[in-house]
Amino acid sequence: MASLKEMRNRIGSVKATQKITKAMQMVAAAKLRKAQDAAQNARPYAERMGSVIANLAAGVSGGDAPRLLVGSGSDRRHLVVVATSDRGLAGGFNSSIVRAARERINALLNEGKDVRVLTVGRKARDQLRRLYGDRYVGSIEAGGNPSLEVAEQISARVQELFESGEVDVVTLMFSRFRSVVSQQPTALQLIPVEVGAATTQSESTAPYEYEPDEQAILETLLPRNITTQIFSAMLENQAGFFAAQMTAMDNATRNAGDMIASLTLQYNRSRQAQITKELIEIISGAEAL
Amino acid sequence: MSEAAVAKKPARRTPAKAKASEIPATVQGVAKGRIVQVIGAVVDVEFEGHLPAILNALETSNTDQRTGQPFRLVLEVAQHLGENTVRTIAMDTTEGLTRGQPVVDTGAAITVPVGPATLGRIMNVIGEPIDEAGPISAEQSSVIHREAPSFDEQSTTPEVLVTGIKVIDLLCPYTKGGKIGLFGGAGVGKTVTMQELINNIAKAYGGYSVLAGVGERTREGNDLYHEMIESNVNVDPKANNGSTVGSKCALVYGQMNEPPGARARVALTGLTQAEYFRDVEGKDVLLFVDNIFRFTQAGAEVSALLGRIPSAVGYQPTLATEMGNLQERITSTNKGSITSVQAIYVPADDLTDPAPATSFAHLDATTVLSRDIAAQAIFPAVDPLDSTSRIMDPLVIGEEHYAVARRTQEILQQYKQLKDIIAILGMDELSEDDKLIVARARKIQRFLSQPFHVAEQFTNTPGAFVELADTIRSFKAICDGEYDHLPEPAFYMVGSIEEAVAKAEKLAAEA
Repeated sequence: MASLKEMRNRIGSVKATQKITKAMQMVAAAKLRKAQDAAQNARPYAERMGSVIANLAAGVSGGDAPRLLVGSGSDRRHLVVVATSDRGLAGGFNSSIVRAARERINALLNEGKDVRVLTVGRKARDQLRRLYGDRYVGSIEAGGNPSLEVAEQISARVQELFESGEVDVVTLMFSRFRSVVSQQPTALQLIPVEVGAATTQSESTAPYEYEPDEQAILETLLPRNITTQIFSAMLENQAGFFAAQMTAMDNATRNAGDMIASLTLQYNRSRQAQITKELIEIISGAEAL
Repeated sequence: MSEAAVAKKPARRTPAKAKASEIPATVQGVAKGRIVQVIGAVVDVEFEGHLPAILNALETSNTDQRTGQPFRLVLEVAQHLGENTVRTIAMDTTEGLTRGQPVVDTGAAITVPVGPATLGRIMNVIGEPIDEAGPISAEQSSVIHREAPSFDEQSTTPEVLVTGIKVIDLLCPYTKGGKIGLFGGAGVGKTVTMQELINNIAKAYGGYSVLAGVGERTREGNDLYHEMIESNVNVDPKANNGSTVGSKCALVYGQMNEPPGARARVALTGLTQAEYFRDVEGKDVLLFVDNIFRFTQAGAEVSALLGRIPSAVGYQPTLATEMGNLQERITSTNKGSITSVQAIYVPADDLTDPAPATSFAHLDATTVLSRDIAAQAIFPAVDPLDSTSRIMDPLVIGEEHYAVARRTQEILQQYKQLKDIIAILGMDELSEDDKLIVARARKIQRFLSQPFHVAEQFTNTPGAFVELADTIRSFKAICDGEYDHLPEPAFYMVGSIEEAVAKAEKLAAEA
């Protein structure tokens, strides 16, 4: 058994850990509200953007449609953009995104597709770079708060890869923020744009006239759409990250508390045992004399 | 003390005392005394004329209080009190003794039969058979108190004793002629591990073993005797016309029901058996002592009855001397070796307690059986980080063995450190490297388990004897990550790594 001093040190170190996790939990809780608002406020924009494009897309016919909308006509080469946070200590948040991404990548590989991986955020980079060494095309740091600049940077990189003909299909993996306790790893196809059937129906009641024509609008709108979707995903990620971190740190604080309780019990018992032993020794020694 | 008394003192004196031994032992067997006082296990005897030497055995008769049968009661002289009185320790119950009862000095220390006739038999501390299979017809007998072998007789080359148990061979290799402490609580598998060692070494070397049951449960001793017969280590005298020829293990029992005198000496009786095989037959012998702590405990009880002032934690002041006298006799000589495996109970899990602490100084290897590991159903429940060996040295066991053992421990140590993080923050916070370490460590933990031959009838799994080279090769491959693809359960309760691979295939086929 460890000596009393060792046990005291151990209790001390667990207590210190608990202080950190508690502080992190409170910080995450405070930041969560802001991030949650940001993510929820961004959602209408992304959705609206989707429906506008859907509407426009309905108006353009096959041949002359922009490539960003309909793709390169092949689906052999895939780019998977995996977006996680830069930091850890958020329980299974990052791992679940990476796991979902890996499942998707492996499924694609099994289908005989060619896959390239681009990561956003340090955690995705750490976990995927080694795994997909030669398929790995680079990483972009997410930075602190999600910013449009970073989203544009990612968007530019994605389009560059697409335009140069290196990839045909681009999918974004991120975690959709459902609630504080539930984040769902989600795959969103960026290129070619998935036109939701539901949105086209509900929005197509009134005929629209576009000036200039649909195609010209789409040319400028589609790159923006990619940026918006990425930015929205980053906001979702951020909110999900803080929610996951808050839960994880809450758990960690509780686990540390349990550990402190059991260690303290053990410590007190052995302390008591030692006192008893010394007493017996003194008394029996005195009796023997 | 008279000259004659010195002369009779058996085997304690080297030829330097030849002058004394020239005096004929005229008083042998005839010196008579009478009991003057009985205090529990301690009996005071008054002699007229000469006094028996310290450690001499005295004989008297007593009546069994339950059956009314008379029996031989042996007393061992412990102190000379003056006024012609000696203080003795009884080797059996003293109920029924009366003052004035005659006592005879045998002129020698307790003498027990030794040799091949003792194999397959159970005897008590004074060498009487207690297995109801007739008298032990040994040609030779020996006194239980002897000197340790001198320096020039001792063998100095450390040699590895392969036990066939992976975790022991890899992480705490036993030395031929070494002393191994088997630390463990109740129910973690001390007895099974011991039986397996007896079984494996008897098989691989044709060697003999001696089992001294010191102050442990009588039921366990009985079970062990029958299990020995069932596992064909010993021959059943009942099925074989009272003959035990072909047996490989001699048993000496002084269990919990015995008075402290018997428990304090039975380890010596067992050791004397082993010494015969080493010195006379030149064999490599295994000596099992279950439980060395009871030896110390009995010594403490006797000490208090003898009126010595207790020392630290109530132990006898002569604790280290007693332990030293026993342990120093367990050694390799140029004739043969005695390898002793000693179960050591650790009071209140405190290794600094004087009893385990004094044993520690003598041990060459410590195998710690841990409750945490037994609770995970990993048997043998050897703690891979607490168990050590003196020959854990590249010069003795070779560079490769040393490197593999250290790497295995390193991985397990890293896992142990990560456990706190996993407990507080969860697996997800670990880096990829750490996750790999955790996965390998968990495989290693399972691979450290092994099916035992002696447990075949319980587990329905054939036992595995793993050669040292296979053990090293297997662990090296796991540490190198060659078997990262196998699932954890494949490593559980298998012998070498090939069996793990086969088990993985079987699991995959079932799934």
